[in-house]
Amino acid sequence: MSTTVTERRGSTPPAATTPILEVKDLVVRYGRGRKAAAAPAAVDRVSFSIAPGETVGLVGESGSGKSTIGKAILGLQKVSGGSITYQGKDITSAGAAQRRALGGELRAVFQDPNSSLNPRNTISTSLAEPLRLRGVSAAEARTRAGDMLERVGLPREAVDRYPSQFSGGQRQRISVARALICDPQLVVCDEAVSALDLSTQAQVLNLLADLRDERGLSYLFIAHDIAVVQFLAQRVVVLYRGQVMESGPAAAVTENPKHPFTQALVAASPVPRPAEQAERREARESLGVRTGAAAVPGPGGCPFRLRCPLATELCATERPALRRVGASDVACHYA
Amino acid sequence: MIPTVAPAPADADQAGTTTPAGTPARNAGKAAITKFSRHRLFTSPGAVAGLIWLAAIVIASLTAPLWLPFKTEDQDFTAVLSGPTAAHWLGTDELGRDILSRIFAAAAGTLGTSMLTVIVGVGLGTVLAMLAAGAGTRTEAVISRVTEIMMSLPGTVIILAVIGAVGTNIPVVMAILGILMSAGIYRVILGQAKSLQSQLYVDAAKVDGVGPLRISLRHVLPGLANTIVVQAALIFAVGMLIQAGLAFIGFGPPIPQPSWGGMIQGASQHVYDAPWMMVPTGAVLALTVLSANAIGNALGKAPNAAAPHLPSAAARRQRAKAVAAIAAAAPKPEDQAAGDGASHSAAPEGTLSVRNLSVGVDSAGAGNGVRLVTDVSFEVQPGTVLGLVGESGCGKTMTALSLLGLLPSGVSVTGGQILWNGRNLAAVADRDMEAVRGREIALISQEPMRALDPMFTVGYQLTATIRRLRGMNRAEARKEAQSLLEKVGIVDAARILKTYPHQISGGMAQRVAIALALSGQPKLLVADEPTTALDVTVQAEILSLLRSLVKDTGMSVVMVTHDLGVVADICDQVAVMYAGQVVENGSTRAVLDHPRHPYTLALLAADPHANHADDMPERLATISGQVPQPKDWPSGCRFAARCQFAGSACLEPVPLLPSGTGEGLVRCVKADQLAVEGMDWLATDVPASRALQVTPRQNLRTLNTIVEKDPA
Amino acid sequence: MALFITKRLLMALATVLVVAVLAFLLVHAMPGSPGAISLGAGASQEAIDEVNQRLGWNDPLFTQFFSWLGSAVQGDLGISLIDGRSVSADLASRLPVTASLAAGATVLSAVLGIALGVTAAVRGGLLDQVIGGFVGLLVALPAFWVGVIFVYLFAVQSSIFPATGYVPFEVSPQDWALSLALPVITLAVGGAAFIARQTRASMLEALQQEHIRTLRATATPTWKILYVHALRYASLPIVAGIALQFIGLFGGSVIAEQLFAMPGLGQAVQTSVSTHDAPAVQGVVVIATVVVVAVNLVLELATKFLDPKLRAS
Repeated sequence: MSTTVTERRGSTPPAATTPILEVKDLVVRYGRGRKAAAAPAAVDRVSFSIAPGETVGLVGESGSGKSTIGKAILGLQKVSGGSITYQGKDITSAGAAQRRALGGELRAVFQDPNSSLNPRNTISTSLAEPLRLRGVSAAEARTRAGDMLERVGLPREAVDRYPSQFSGGQRQRISVARALICDPQLVVCDEAVSALDLSTQAQVLNLLADLRDERGLSYLFIAHDIAVVQFLAQRVVVLYRGQVMESGPAAAVTENPKHPFTQALVAASPVPRPAEQAERREARESLGVRTGAAAVPGPGGCPFRLRCPLATELCATERPALRRVGASDVACHYA
Repeated sequence: MIPTVAPAPADADQAGTTTPAGTPARNAGKAAITKFSRHRLFTSPGAVAGLIWLAAIVIASLTAPLWLPFKTEDQDFTAVLSGPTAAHWLGTDELGRDILSRIFAAAAGTLGTSMLTVIVGVGLGTVLAMLAAGAGTRTEAVISRVTEIMMSLPGTVIILAVIGAVGTNIPVVMAILGILMSAGIYRVILGQAKSLQSQLYVDAAKVDGVGPLRISLRHVLPGLANTIVVQAALIFAVGMLIQAGLAFIGFGPPIPQPSWGGMIQGASQHVYDAPWMMVPTGAVLALTVLSANAIGNALGKAPNAAAPHLPSAAARRQRAKAVAAIAAAAPKPEDQAAGDGASHSAAPEGTLSVRNLSVGVDSAGAGNGVRLVTDVSFEVQPGTVLGLVGESGCGKTMTALSLLGLLPSGVSVTGGQILWNGRNLAAVADRDMEAVRGREIALISQEPMRALDPMFTVGYQLTATIRRLRGMNRAEARKEAQSLLEKVGIVDAARILKTYPHQISGGMAQRVAIALALSGQPKLLVADEPTTALDVTVQAEILSLLRSLVKDTGMSVVMVTHDLGVVADICDQVAVMYAGQVVENGSTRAVLDHPRHPYTLALLAADPHANHADDMPERLATISGQVPQPKDWPSGCRFAARCQFAGSACLEPVPLLPSGTGEGLVRCVKADQLAVEGMDWLATDVPASRALQVTPRQNLRTLNTIVEKDPA
Repeated sequence: MALFITKRLLMALATVLVVAVLAFLLVHAMPGSPGAISLGAGASQEAIDEVNQRLGWNDPLFTQFFSWLGSAVQGDLGISLIDGRSVSADLASRLPVTASLAAGATVLSAVLGIALGVTAAVRGGLLDQVIGGFVGLLVALPAFWVGVIFVYLFAVQSSIFPATGYVPFEVSPQDWALSLALPVITLAVGGAAFIARQTRASMLEALQQEHIRTLRATATPTWKILYVHALRYASLPIVAGIALQFIGLFGGSVIAEQLFAMPGLGQAVQTSVSTHDAPAVQGVVVIATVVVVAVNLVLELATKFLDPKLRAS
């Protein structure tokens, strides 16, 4: 962890304590039967951990398995292999009762503000649901719902309204309120801002940052947009076709990417400054990364090899292990 | 007859029932938001009449012993087979029994036992559907197989066999009928239950540790209420028809108990000598069925069905009138050219000049004349790319679609001109636009997968378009299609030609869509968020492709986007839109590097892409509140309510004016002052009072149907 | 695709088997033993027992079922208890009647329904509302009532069609057609209304698809958008609707046959149920199921063939 980053963020992730979440060799396969077993896994031996108070960004394109990992952690997706440990407790295949017993410490904010609140319930019903499950009285739950709404910048009176009476950004604030109402330790944000417009996105990102600083929260921040991740995360894990390509401090991964895929990903993200963007474009074109449109690699080896300018025969036969390059861990034979 | 065991589709727009067997409901997502609505019930005259009729017939039949003039078995031999008389209002049958009395005596039993079918059928169907939706794929597969078998049975014949076994015990028969019909109901409800199960709030509840039963009861069942009532009404109607049909063929309640079907059967024996007898019973039965159907249809109507992309003939006639009005109102281009001096008459071939364009919801429709785009002007020179940038709800897609005359139904150009090569396209009839579309101006859109016809191969779609637009024969078109695909960077063009859209990736589909747009060799390409749905590395490839096409073919592009990075990458000129207006335009470099409108300033400050990791601020700048709804646009500056620089001067309408030394225009009274002071947009926290500008539901609903979608 | 067809065939076979078991059980639940029914009232108990013994009525249910199934697969559905005729032979002579009735009604309702539904969706406005109201009325009218009215109008008032009866095709194709006309039209009224609704809904849904806008943006003529692209897209649910309708119409033929005195399967069900003729009921239920399942299978395969997504997988 680079010291500059921690200083700037204000929060200090302690290095030696047990991680709040540890994902080890996670494998998720869709479907069942022989066909599914032969297909490449949606998530293939992914490992990472989150320290208390730390924000880890999970970045990748569609089909990279990033949302599947989030779902597996939240118990919404069956795991085929590996383990997920929350504060020392194995929650790999925890059922509803076990999750209730976690006491609301592990929560989620989802992508689509239109469907993350039940349109038929008032805001207070939605916010109170997790509290009521834990035996909080109706009156207290209502008070806490009001408090939480004020904290996310909405008036207390909004508890009696319905989701349809709010804009997308406001609904996403309410989703954040719902996630935080029972004082969680870790919040999984699955594309939590990607459905929002630029100005609302900034509001929600700031809110997430405020709450983190205030309560010492940990986030697993899942997004396809590396710039958004870079704003919030201290560490970034880059995924491609279910495998970790690179992981390391946010500044190192985004400013000095080592893996050819990370390089392509960073270079492809356009910046709103025409002159600089023209340079980035040239830099991207000179990378020599091939289009991913038609290339579906077979199992085994590096999943990026068909697009990679550095690929050799070795990449087709041997899956590169993560190894330390500079400040990051990189899964590439040639980085 | 005995109608199909599967319920009839309630009405055109009823989500879920439009795809009865085999295919899962395509619009299940839409169905999920259909709520039970008393409003819908009581605003439909048919449903109100139906409710009154049903209530009347229930009350009348329950109180029948008190008021009926005759007992059902009273025989009046002086008036056998009579028509309506003072004594027998609806006439008598062959034994001189009073038809009115018999109809109402039979009603309670008919309605009651039909309710039995409803309770069994809808109850079982709902329980099965919720079970299948909640319990995972294996359970669902088993239940679905069983219901498939049930649906492919000749239900009538089986019911008759049941009657053979249990006799004409109507309640038992109707309950078994309910079991047979539950399969169809299961089908209808399953799609919706699954869509409700996949809602994120169900995921959120699961994360909380809410058990499956509680999720089904709290989050799924309430969402199904409307569909359940709709199905109940329809099954009730079907139940009555089947029951009457059984009675008609002699399996009704034991004689002499009257039944509607039995009465019609009796009447049919006398169709030669007393045709009147057919009328009363048939009419009462039909009216009762009609009433139940009307209630079901009123509730089943989707509140906001999407507008068709090809309006109906009636809607096209309306549109033609509006276009004619525009044509009459707009000044003739020649006159204006003369008036403006020589500057416009010399416009080179391939110049687009949009002047004071306004787009609005048709006042006849639900949106009540709301303006969506007002007074938008911009120019596009040949071989250049213009970006229309802004947040959702700013009217940029409406502006873009108006260039091709492809605004959605219910939305039209209400003023201004779209001058293409000096011709005002806003005043051109739809039929004549066909000469422009594809050949001169082409379109690519946000979701490439949905833009291609899923039923035809890429090759067919391309060659048919090329043959139409270029007049080539089949072989030439085939060759051209292949070369077009190669031109858009598809390596194995021959293979792609043979594929269907669902077999290719999103990036590939967008390349195909671009090839399709290029097939008429257009001079102008309208690209509506063409990369928003794509991965960022694919986006970069598509942008490179568009850039090289502009360079090679000399065509121009109108690029609609919400992404300032995309603007920086590809656009020569940019027009920033806010709340239906252009607030700033100019060259991309000028606008992005030296923004002068506070909104542009704010957008850039809020964009995390504008910062590097080493200078990433602790907090991003924000803009308080949100883009106002079109009906809430003030007469003054539309951004003033959210602007940190706003003052009293901003309450007046603001024109788009040149500012400072730049060649672009700005719609801000303080632009010069801000430029001089070099002020930055600062992070603004959102005061709670201002954040909750509650949008009344009514307006949200009507606007959802027509306002562009949020970018994904 | 081959796998898919095999799966479907197995499903169809399972369906028929399930129905065979069901029919067997129902028949056994009927009041009265075969002996009592075939000998009629007044027969001595010994005579009844003797017949029951001969028919295997006292054997275990399993034995009875499998012996019935064994003969059934060889085409022997037993002998009617009432008139002693072979059930198979009787049904074989009746099947063409019901088949022509159901097929005719399905084709007619498909043609009328698609025409009405497409017109309503495409033309819109007042015409759409008029068709909608008309179709709504037709759905609510009981077919047997409509049938009687037709008889009154076309056979009693003006004798264009024969009121009742059936003329086999071999005897006179022209009279065959005439004798079928009224029953077919009677059945098709409700069917056409059902398919019209399905078609209108599917067409409107098709026209909401974004690829319709692409077609307009490439100057595709309106007729081609409507009748090639949108109708093609809408064809899947429409064909599925027709398949459902066939099942309904096949059942509906019971009433039409009764009303128009046609010697079809429906009439056979009606009489054999009334007379508790167990082998006949069992036979007709199984035969009806086989026909419906077979037609359904064909239409379902047609649906799959229409859908490129399913065809490719």
